[in-house]
Amino acid sequence: MTRNTDTGDDSGDAVTDGGVAEEGQRSGFSPVAALNERFGSDFVESSQFWLPPFLLVGLFVYGAIIWNLLISLTDFTGFGTPDYSDLDFQMYSRALADSGFVDAAINTFILLVGFTLVTLALGLGLAILIDRNIRFENTFRTIYLLPMSLSFVVTAQFWAWMFNFNNGVINIVITSLGLGRVDWIGNPDIVLWAVMFALMWQFAGYAMVVFLAGLRAIPNEHYEAAKVDGASTVRMYWRVIIPQLKGSTISASVVLMVFALKAFDFLYSLVGGYRPPNGADILATKMVREAYANLNWAYASAVAITLFVMTLGIVGPYLYYQYNRGNL
Amino acid sequence: MGTLELDGVTKVFPDGDGEVVAVDDVDIEMRDGEFLVVVGPSGCGKSTTLRMVAGLETISSGEIRLAGQRVNDVKPQHRDIAMVFQSYALYPHMTVEGNMAFGLEESTELSDEEIETRVADAAETMGIAELLDRKPADLSGGQRQRVALGRAIVRDPEVFLMDEPLSNLDAKLRSEMRTELQRLQDELDVTTMYVTHDQTEAMTMGDRIAILNAGELQQVATPLECYHEPANRFVAGFIGDPSMNFFPVERDDETLVADVFDYPLSAPTLDDVGAVTDLTLGVRPEDIALAGDSSGEHTFSTVVEVVEPMGDENTVYLRFADAPEGETFIATVGGLQQVSAGDEITVEIPEETIHLFDGVSGEAVHNREIDE
Amino acid sequence: MSNDARTDGGTVTEADPGASAGLLSGLDAYRVLLYLGLLGMLTFFLIPIESGLVTSFKTPSGVSGSLPFAPPTGGTFTFEKWRAAFDALGRGLINSALYAIPATVISALLGSFTAYGLTQSNWKQKYKAPVLALLVAGVFIPYQAVLVPLSQFWSMIPLQEWLGFLWALGINNDYASVIELIITHVAYGLPICTVLFRSYYKNMSEEMIEAARLDGASIRRIYRRIVLPLSGPMFAVVLIYQFTQIWNDLLFTLVLVQTESSAAAPIVLILAGLGTSLEGQDFALRMAGAFIAALPTLAVYIAFGEEFAEGVAT
Repeated sequence: MTRNTDTGDDSGDAVTDGGVAEEGQRSGFSPVAALNERFGSDFVESSQFWLPPFLLVGLFVYGAIIWNLLISLTDFTGFGTPDYSDLDFQMYSRALADSGFVDAAINTFILLVGFTLVTLALGLGLAILIDRNIRFENTFRTIYLLPMSLSFVVTAQFWAWMFNFNNGVINIVITSLGLGRVDWIGNPDIVLWAVMFALMWQFAGYAMVVFLAGLRAIPNEHYEAAKVDGASTVRMYWRVIIPQLKGSTISASVVLMVFALKAFDFLYSLVGGYRPPNGADILATKMVREAYANLNWAYASAVAITLFVMTLGIVGPYLYYQYNRGNL
Repeated sequence: MGTLELDGVTKVFPDGDGEVVAVDDVDIEMRDGEFLVVVGPSGCGKSTTLRMVAGLETISSGEIRLAGQRVNDVKPQHRDIAMVFQSYALYPHMTVEGNMAFGLEESTELSDEEIETRVADAAETMGIAELLDRKPADLSGGQRQRVALGRAIVRDPEVFLMDEPLSNLDAKLRSEMRTELQRLQDELDVTTMYVTHDQTEAMTMGDRIAILNAGELQQVATPLECYHEPANRFVAGFIGDPSMNFFPVERDDETLVADVFDYPLSAPTLDDVGAVTDLTLGVRPEDIALAGDSSGEHTFSTVVEVVEPMGDENTVYLRFADAPEGETFIATVGGLQQVSAGDEITVEIPEETIHLFDGVSGEAVHNREIDE
Repeated sequence: MSNDARTDGGTVTEADPGASAGLLSGLDAYRVLLYLGLLGMLTFFLIPIESGLVTSFKTPSGVSGSLPFAPPTGGTFTFEKWRAAFDALGRGLINSALYAIPATVISALLGSFTAYGLTQSNWKQKYKAPVLALLVAGVFIPYQAVLVPLSQFWSMIPLQEWLGFLWALGINNDYASVIELIITHVAYGLPICTVLFRSYYKNMSEEMIEAARLDGASIRRIYRRIVLPLSGPMFAVVLIYQFTQIWNDLLFTLVLVQTESSAAAPIVLILAGLGTSLEGQDFALRMAGAFIAALPTLAVYIAFGEEFAEGVAT
């Protein structure tokens, strides 16, 4: 800044003109400056950090989804390559006529809603228990969250054994209560609920952690105020505390629903194959089976798009909500 | 050299569908080595102005020149400016030495030895030589403040920018650092722009004060000029504590008429006023004197509502005898004068001490007389 | 993505009416019930694991002839299943590590880059927001929606040719799938890594970054000298979370490696088919295998539970 010190002394006009001209030369003809002008001063310099990863994600996520949409419009099956010259919605009409698809869609929906609700409820209960000023809080919390660190493949092994007809823990407990054994995996009417129960076991700890963070963000005064007002503990939670957990509930629900959509790994591992137990087929398993067992690529892509649209229906409003609150 | 000129500088922030003008057409010229304090209420645009000089905010229109060079599009790292932040913004993972050396390492080609020497010198100047190996977390607030200043002076920049640097210190430390900063400024003689909301800092530290309100520059002048010759009603009210008393008045021929008092004006004052009739009368609390009797032209009988004893002086809330309760103005009187709530006393508002402002625009039309 | 993440060991419970009452009147019924509830839940969460553990040490007669949660006794105790499981899964452990570790490190680093470039640099929010939105949305993509193109993509890339020099060294060419898995996991792990780092960088002092700029540091130098050294805690969180996710994932291994007979088969792929045969299910073997597959993530979880909790809660 010490160069050209003699220009700034006399008239302001002269300096203004000189300055403008100089800047004009520096910025007017350089594409970097033009981009920075348009997008902000650090746009070009910072792009070395975010642009390559963004392009990678763009290619693998968004590029792939568009490609997937294209494939779903072809008739691509078996080996070889898809033929993009003849695009139609045939695969989607085939899906609607396929009772397997409709069942899978219904199962997906039941799993999504049921799993999310029971897991949220259990997670909230756990969070409240943990938050009651207990001893060994860390130990309890660590153990409740532990299943979350396990692979679906691993938990599927545990629950296959838990639900075992002859000697699984669940049936042992039930018979000791004087009830009859239940074929949890084999009975198509029950298996989905059994799966839901196992998934709840795996993810309740997650919901707990989210709710716990929410509970601890509530100022002390709210507990005290409710106490002073003479509310019972139950009423305090119901009327004062839980309504303030809206943000936590929304975040946890969305993540849980996404986990439920990904339950493929669990169902695959439960039986060690593409065909889940009767009554537990969901869109995720159906899609992979159509593609990799039956080589119905185009049809699988159409199922995948359906699944994607379902996800979008859940995540889209959530992202919009977060965006509006400035959380992005 | 380190002259700094702001020429019609404007900052517009988008706000929803509309826009907010945070800084509106500000012109300031600082000569080399000058200490300018930018002061104003919060949200007046003073920090935004400083950040535009630093290059941390873009300039919507106008021009900033540093040493005669237009710097609007020069990135902050190339402006040769050092800034002291309110939070000190020290690098927590580096030692004091690392913090102070960082700028030299990044912006100069100096060798390690030269950097070490300059850091040692600057640390000596700031009295933090023995802290060089510590991390910021191990320092007290005052020490961090010194490191932040040391980090700025070691760079030997063209211009210092300071954004409320003392506001995180307790009162005692703050007055200590105020003196220290003045010493430094005398010693280093670097052009300094200093932003604060604290008028004590403004009055005591600055060669000149720039007063901003709602993004508009109100006045740039020496502290005493701002105090005694405010350019407008905002400056008059902002500078001085307790602040100036204002009375809305109408000029009726040669007399100012308020709801509860009349104030005759002399010919020289009337010359200043000219044709304006809608006026605001301003008088500083310390210019209101207790009068022995009510014989003078500018004496008024008042009732004391509240007395706040400060020790050296009393802050007295007075009410004109005819005014409704609660409608008070402030006078400061000597600490030994016995005044108590409920007393009826006569005060004088001498004509040579009054300020008159245009009732609509707020511009000063007449300022108090100053003894040469 | 709750913003407030975790507040460590909060003090909220000071206001807890039950606690203060409990201290005064000793162990009242309320506290007893509370701890009973906590212990009941503890049992619920541990029993599948406990049952699996004891079963893995049982002989076939022990598995069918004793209570599933009872420890093996005398004659029904055996290490045989663990040995068999280890024989089957041992190579999978190494194969999994081969892609899980590089993919974890790369995705964490790139996530940190991305978050830095999108958080602490000055460019217009108007343009930043859609970039961020696309990245955040990437967290929630069901992988099924990209599987077919993914298979197509990797079948079009002549990875086998490019890596010819490796096969020349005597490495089994099945290991091309390790490269595919690394790149795939990095691409799909990047969004969550970015989100995690962004939540951390948003809370980093803005004035400190500005101070570094005025000190003359470029964007790259600020990252190298200020942001990266201060990112340690978040790297711990992201590395642990990513490692767990990648190690545990079955879907991509199934699509890219396809068969457990591949020399490069990851452990989850082998485990998924372990102990299931036409003659019936060997639960002891499945349990032993499950534990071997879970060991790395369990070890990480036990050592870094706090960071894991922070990762999932963000």
